[in-house]
Amino acid sequence: MADRRRINGPVGATTPPIFDKPAAPAAAKTRDAIRKIFLKTGITPSASGSAYLELENPNPKRPGNTSLKLSCTVHGPRALPRSAPFSPHIILTTHVKYAPFATRQRRGYLRDSSERDLGVHLETALRGAIIADRWPKSGVDIIVTVVEGDQDRDSPESQKDDEGWDMMNVLSGCITVASAAIADAGIDCVDTVAGGVAALVCKDDKTAPTIVMDPIVAEHGSILAACCVAYLPTRDEITNMWFKGRLPGADMMVYDKLMEKSLVACRCANRVIVQELNETVRKGQGIS
Amino acid sequence: MSSTSQHLLLSPAELAYLHGSLSLITPGPIRPDGRSPTQFRPLTAETGILPGTNGSARICFADGTEAVVGVKAEVEKTPVSPYEFVASTEGRKDHTVTSTPQKKIRKSKKAPAATEGGEDEIAMEVDEDEEAAAAAALDKVRGSPDWVELSVEIPGLRDDDSGTIFLTSMLTEALLADGEFVKKLWINRRFHWKIYLDIILISPPLSYPLPLLSLTTHLALLATRLPRLKSEADEDPMFDDDWAAATFLYPRQDTSSGKAASSKSSKQTSTAAAAPPASRPPITLLVMAVGDNIIFDPSKEELAVADSAVAVSVAEGPSSESEPESESISATTTKRNLHLLSVRTIDPPSRLTPPGVPNSVNASAWGTMTAATAASAAAPASASASEAAAKHPDARVTETEDVVGVWKAPRGGAKFAMLGAMVAKVLERGGVAEEVLDGLEGVDLG
Amino acid sequence: MAQTIAIPGQLLGPSSKYVAGPGTHIHEANLYSSVLGTVTVVQPEKKNVPGPAKRLTKIAGLPSSSAQLPTISVSRTGISEKREVLPEVGNVVLCRVTRIQPRQATVAILVVGDTVLEAEWQGVIRPQDVRATEKDKVKIYESFRPGDIVRAQVISLGDQASYYLATASNDLGVIMATSEAGNVMYPVSWKEYRDPETGINENRKVAKPF
Repeated sequence: MADRRRINGPVGATTPPIFDKPAAPAAAKTRDAIRKIFLKTGITPSASGSAYLELENPNPKRPGNTSLKLSCTVHGPRALPRSAPFSPHIILTTHVKYAPFATRQRRGYLRDSSERDLGVHLETALRGAIIADRWPKSGVDIIVTVVEGDQDRDSPESQKDDEGWDMMNVLSGCITVASAAIADAGIDCVDTVAGGVAALVCKDDKTAPTIVMDPIVAEHGSILAACCVAYLPTRDEITNMWFKGRLPGADMMVYDKLMEKSLVACRCANRVIVQELNETVRKGQGIS
Repeated sequence: MSSTSQHLLLSPAELAYLHGSLSLITPGPIRPDGRSPTQFRPLTAETGILPGTNGSARICFADGTEAVVGVKAEVEKTPVSPYEFVASTEGRKDHTVTSTPQKKIRKSKKAPAATEGGEDEIAMEVDEDEEAAAAAALDKVRGSPDWVELSVEIPGLRDDDSGTIFLTSMLTEALLADGEFVKKLWINRRFHWKIYLDIILISPPLSYPLPLLSLTTHLALLATRLPRLKSEADEDPMFDDDWAAATFLYPRQDTSSGKAASSKSSKQTSTAAAAPPASRPPITLLVMAVGDNIIFDPSKEELAVADSAVAVSVAEGPSSESEPESESISATTTKRNLHLLSVRTIDPPSRLTPPGVPNSVNASAWGTMTAATAASAAAPASASASEAAAKHPDARVTETEDVVGVWKAPRGGAKFAMLGAMVAKVLERGGVAEEVLDGLEGVDLG
Repeated sequence: MAQTIAIPGQLLGPSSKYVAGPGTHIHEANLYSSVLGTVTVVQPEKKNVPGPAKRLTKIAGLPSSSAQLPTISVSRTGISEKREVLPEVGNVVLCRVTRIQPRQATVAILVVGDTVLEAEWQGVIRPQDVRATEKDKVKIYESFRPGDIVRAQVISLGDQASYYLATASNDLGVIMATSEAGNVMYPVSWKEYRDPETGINENRKVAKPF
């Protein structure tokens, strides 16, 4: 049913351009690192804490290419609504919302099931990191807006039903950006949690599958399995793990390797958080 | 709030006791209901309870939780995308259909609106090689995640509650993860089955309902039958009216079905009806860790002290996969060919449990008071009191070392090795997943 | 002065050498930072006796060895003014009376210690917590009026909605009050405020002016 409270965009009038021959997918570089991350805290003055994250666009020259752009705001800690029961802990509420223009398919204003699903994953990842008993009787809202959803607009259209692999990349970005925003808000955490993705990809049927970190969905022929992990580096603990896919052959070997690779990706992302937080403190001292 | 965090009336002392007994190492964990760590709660199961469905099942746990699953199938037209030609790059390992199409579908890449006006095919001049490639690509049995619609209903929770959505996406993900299930729904190039899975928890959610819902869905899918196809190739599908001739969605090994993906039938069992199907729908198991112990099928009380909890989805594939090593193993042990489909950590409700207070900081137990309270209690009349309190606004939160017997809600996550061990324990030969599949095999599919 | 920057999860030292202060947590016998900020180490005062204790009859706990250790804490001062602080048991707070009922006065907590709060937290003052003596004769409407600014002490986390506050001390109570005529009044006794223009006295639980 159409949402009549808002002025929606034209229905069905925006067909994507169809290219005579789709541009050849960019050659998958054998990167042994994650894409470069831009992270900045304190971008929303009205929020208690905020952060913005952007991933490097691998092919900035090509027009249809997008990368991941996330903005996160943290509101609170603040008093719980009067109807809420007593809680000895902080009540965490996470919202992940795609902007309507963030993906190839236009997103509505109401959160759909995949956005809610991402919200639950994010909540699990953060709740392990937050020291919840420092803030009794209070609640905090963490809102992540996906400005660009890491979907290549001129990727082969056969991947129209890409089985949601890009959600993993979005989730890992959400975890990283929310972690920075929570630290900016001054909520007690055991560690800076960071997200990372690793995937088992293969170019075509003939070549043997390989494991890559931070997969760019459009660059790889097909993704067999992927795994997104939220990791606390100093404690060496995992607060959230999401694996799906089909693994060939002896399962546990590949699975373990996939996990290890995603932990490496997490550590890379964590280094960015640490650097940015140090920068935040130094800036604050310079002003005061 | 996730659906795992239901209100649980256990005091910090009870939680500490429960955690202590579950993390025992020498005799193994002692569970409140006396089960062994890998033992499941007893359950009753039946199939074919809903005559209006293609397949249905009901499972009732001994604690009173009960779920019903109905599977309905509809024939749906496959939307033809203007991009079909370039689809040949798709790198899936697919089974090719034996039938050769009578006429090749010719679609123009220049006419994306070709499907308008009820016309499916427009013959136009296309380069010969391109056409051949396209036809080869179209011949592949393919599936789309849109062909499955799964809904979960839990009494007392809204449909858009994040807990329900999480359960729904977890169960959907298990079905879709390996892409094998949707291929079973392929009829021909133009039509496919659309499967609606309606999962209803009848009882109030007394424990985390994931294992119950998953097992019931598994049984319902096993019992699902689709009418036998009479038409050939790309004709409009025609089906046999005789329900007795309907084929199982997950074909038995001994019945020769046209849709059976694997041609190899390794073992012929004498009892025809009870023969297990070649491949089985996925099951999702809930595993939790307390200390160094791994515990399966936790009850609500046990989940309240979990250090971490994981939902692991596994499926049994046909033993005729092309990998030689797995075949040799299955040949020697005649055991199941399990593979991992998805893993998700679940937010354990233990993180929301009230903490206990150790005697050392408890003022009513003559413990030492914190600096700020002591200062402000000693000199309440002076202005310095408010300053002292302001300097230590967090002073009430006294950080202490872990004290034995005093409950503290777990912080942080699980170790890498622990998560790996939990998944391995599900997958291992003769492990819990096999046991559960064996148990469900005994259910009469009617 | 150059201060050590701490980010969440940063190792600060073994818990046998320091006492955990605000902004830190203990994990496996080590102290870690839990907020973003700068590290401060406060040496303990040599004299551990903070003046004559109020309740002399109280049996003192075991002399804790931790009293001799320096307290390490991570503070956010200088990074951001927006440091959200929760009212804690023992804190002295400033609040505004929003509503009075026979059984309780409802207040909005505005300031904790020296920190002005971003969010507004609700508190209640029950009749038995208004003053230390003659508790049974306290009437809420003779102690507070809506709009009064009250200095109070947090005595409990309270129920799901409100913190429990007490004014049972000489320096706690109403510090600013307006009369029914709308004029700012001045205190004349421990239980009365006077309107300077009309000269009418009104009953309040008056905080002792400094």
